[in-house]
Amino acid sequence: MKHVLKLFSLLVLISALWISLLQASIIPQSHTWLLPIYFIVSLGCYGLLMVGVGLMRFPTCPQEAVLLQQDIAEAKDFLKQKGVDVGSE
Amino acid sequence: MELADRAVGFLLTFTSLSIFTYYTFWVIILPFVDSDNFIHNYFLPQEYAILIPVCAGVVLLSLLCIFIGFVLLKSKKKTA
Repeated sequence: MKHVLKLFSLLVLISALWISLLQASIIPQSHTWLLPIYFIVSLGCYGLLMVGVGLMRFPTCPQEAVLLQQDIAEAKDFLKQKGVDVGSE
Repeated sequence: MELADRAVGFLLTFTSLSIFTYYTFWVIILPFVDSDNFIHNYFLPQEYAILIPVCAGVVLLSLLCIFIGFVLLKSKKKTA
């Protein structure tokens, strides 16, 4: 319940900020009306950007892959000796 | 294999950056430009700047609700 209250208070704060911006008219009024939608769109864009950047920098560790294959072969041999059925090829 | 991943990642970043710059231009910079400038030909009229994200958000929410409804119905059918 507490996390929901935190989120709700944050939402109330942001809407209060927006309404005060509307009243004070520092920025021209037409801009202030579009501001929430702009922030939501930019947030979605930011999420997409993070996903794309993470995908591009994903490390594949080729040496670890080779070592893993060696480990698998070793384990298969060992188990076959002990009589376990490892028939996957 | 990692080349495909890199390509998809690059496509995603490029799409997101282009959407961000286009939308920023549309909403913030364009109202300050004179209305007979040539740049206005490249941008749709300003009402669409609100309409398209709202429509996309509504479609997303409805798809989410449909998916949740599907899952709930499936689980109910299994227990009943």
